[in-house]
Amino acid sequence: MNNLKKYWAVASISAKSNLAYVGEVGSRLVFLAIILYIFMRLWKVTYEHSGVQQLGGLTLPEMLWYLVLTESIIMSGPRVTQLVDEDVRTGALAVQLVRPLSYPLYRLFSTMGERSVRFVITFGAAASIALVLVGPAPNWHWHSLLFAITLPLAFILDFLGYFLVGLGAFWIEDTSGPMLIYSRLTMILGGMLLPLPLFPEWLQGPLHMLPFASVVYGPARMFVHPNQAECVQLLLNQFIWIAVFAVVVTAVYNIALRRISANGG
Amino acid sequence: MSLVGVEMNDAIRVSSLKKVFESVRHAGWLRTVKTEIVSVSEVNFSVPAGQSVAFIGPNGAGKSTTIKMLTGILRPTSGSASVLGLVPWEQRSKLAYDVGAVFGQRSQLWYHLPPNDTFELLSRIYNLDRKEYKARRDMLVERFGIGSFIDTPVRKLSLGQRMKAEVAASLLHKPKLLFLDEPTIGLDVNARQQLRDLIRQWNREEGLTVFLTSHDAGDIEHVAERVIVINEGTIVLDDSVKNVRTDFLGTKVLTVDFHEAPHSVPIRGVVELLRDGYKLKLEVDTSVVSIEAVITQVLSWGAVADLTIEDPPLEKVIAHIYSQHKEPAIQGQGSEVAVT
Repeated sequence: MNNLKKYWAVASISAKSNLAYVGEVGSRLVFLAIILYIFMRLWKVTYEHSGVQQLGGLTLPEMLWYLVLTESIIMSGPRVTQLVDEDVRTGALAVQLVRPLSYPLYRLFSTMGERSVRFVITFGAAASIALVLVGPAPNWHWHSLLFAITLPLAFILDFLGYFLVGLGAFWIEDTSGPMLIYSRLTMILGGMLLPLPLFPEWLQGPLHMLPFASVVYGPARMFVHPNQAECVQLLLNQFIWIAVFAVVVTAVYNIALRRISANGG
Repeated sequence: MSLVGVEMNDAIRVSSLKKVFESVRHAGWLRTVKTEIVSVSEVNFSVPAGQSVAFIGPNGAGKSTTIKMLTGILRPTSGSASVLGLVPWEQRSKLAYDVGAVFGQRSQLWYHLPPNDTFELLSRIYNLDRKEYKARRDMLVERFGIGSFIDTPVRKLSLGQRMKAEVAASLLHKPKLLFLDEPTIGLDVNARQQLRDLIRQWNREEGLTVFLTSHDAGDIEHVAERVIVINEGTIVLDDSVKNVRTDFLGTKVLTVDFHEAPHSVPIRGVVELLRDGYKLKLEVDTSVVSIEAVITQVLSWGAVADLTIEDPPLEKVIAHIYSQHKEPAIQGQGSEVAVT
């Protein structure tokens, strides 16, 4: 109980700190508005030229709302890898380790606090833009809230991936390369710009199974096309991947702790 | 759990503590060469509860490695240590409740939020009773004089204000032992002195054991009562601050301002460092001649406007120790230092 309280306090202060620094999020919103506008135009042309009502099972307004979700998920992602990398490289990890806290859990909860603020702001702005451009989400009903169950799990899974890459700082000079690859994999294979049903058929099965789909495509799909059976499958995938990542992160973290050297004088 | 032979009043007891790092170097495509770097070599010392110790040495001497082992972050290659009766690397979380740490170059305060928010967070992290926490916080706010900026975002504070809040934050959970790593780095003279006074005061009045590393001689002189000097992983000196000053340099610097050009005569054991018009700066070897005798002589050289006696800077003392003790030498005298 006390443990829950302390990590809840970490998430709260992190959220509060990000509220105090909304300016940084604000600057991203301009970028978001431009992206949404460009993609709306691109999809409009694509739909008109192909002469179909639906692409990958989505109409044009649904496609834009799908983008609202995927962009909000990706753009709300805090700099987990960079923070872990910095903590390791500068020796700031020592500050965390002299406290009665688990470092991975500390980072998880502080990331969740930060991300919840960033997601609400980004989603609020993106949804407003979509409302202006194509009107309300067409299929929206209470089932769409299923996405709200899958979203926190998506964030946890996403955190574990980036945290693992950040732990690479114990072995390699710079984690920004692997981080860039990982983030691009999440964007492309997770279906940020192109929903998974638009990928070649032979690729769709494997893509659905990968963790990236559980972070991006899955929750966004639940919002535009809520489906209980799909939701159960998604939750199952998320739980499995979180378990796998948690085991790997714990093992790597324990090995990494033995490698702490006298960084930072 | 306490180690066999640990005296209950020892806050820290270190026995044959050794840390060897392995460095792997690639020597060709498939061949790697392993080299062992001895960071800390068979170190022994103990710190009685309530003592304030300065742990000093040049970069790479093994200070940081030792502190990391004492806080449980690093596991030693061999040897043992007991901190507040616990084995740090095996009981790190448990130890964390009784230990505070201030790292001068790394802040624990949330940058965009007021110090008060970090205090709240720490009260949760250390599972403090709400009522006790509030009383403790109010007391720290008053004693550290941080009330006027406790609700100001940290990014708007001066470094001096921030460091006061840092130290206060690290004392919230009533630690028995405080590790301070370069706490006054970057502070101006005034802020530095205020912080030193606060730490010393806490050490004396609350019985807090202080373990300090610093490159600032003033920190050591004003905060610590005992100095442990480490170089190349070995303790080269362990003695009281007072003894270090007298034993290893045994000099005082006397600066005299005259109303007229002084008619000085040479004195045995006194070296003239500077003569600038009416000003005279002398280095007095107190093992040869007493400072009082020199002052009596100086007063006869002309009408004196001002006179100051200073201790030599500790940097100079330490440099002297390094030059004299290339080989591991004086050790273990620290246990004779009186506990205040």
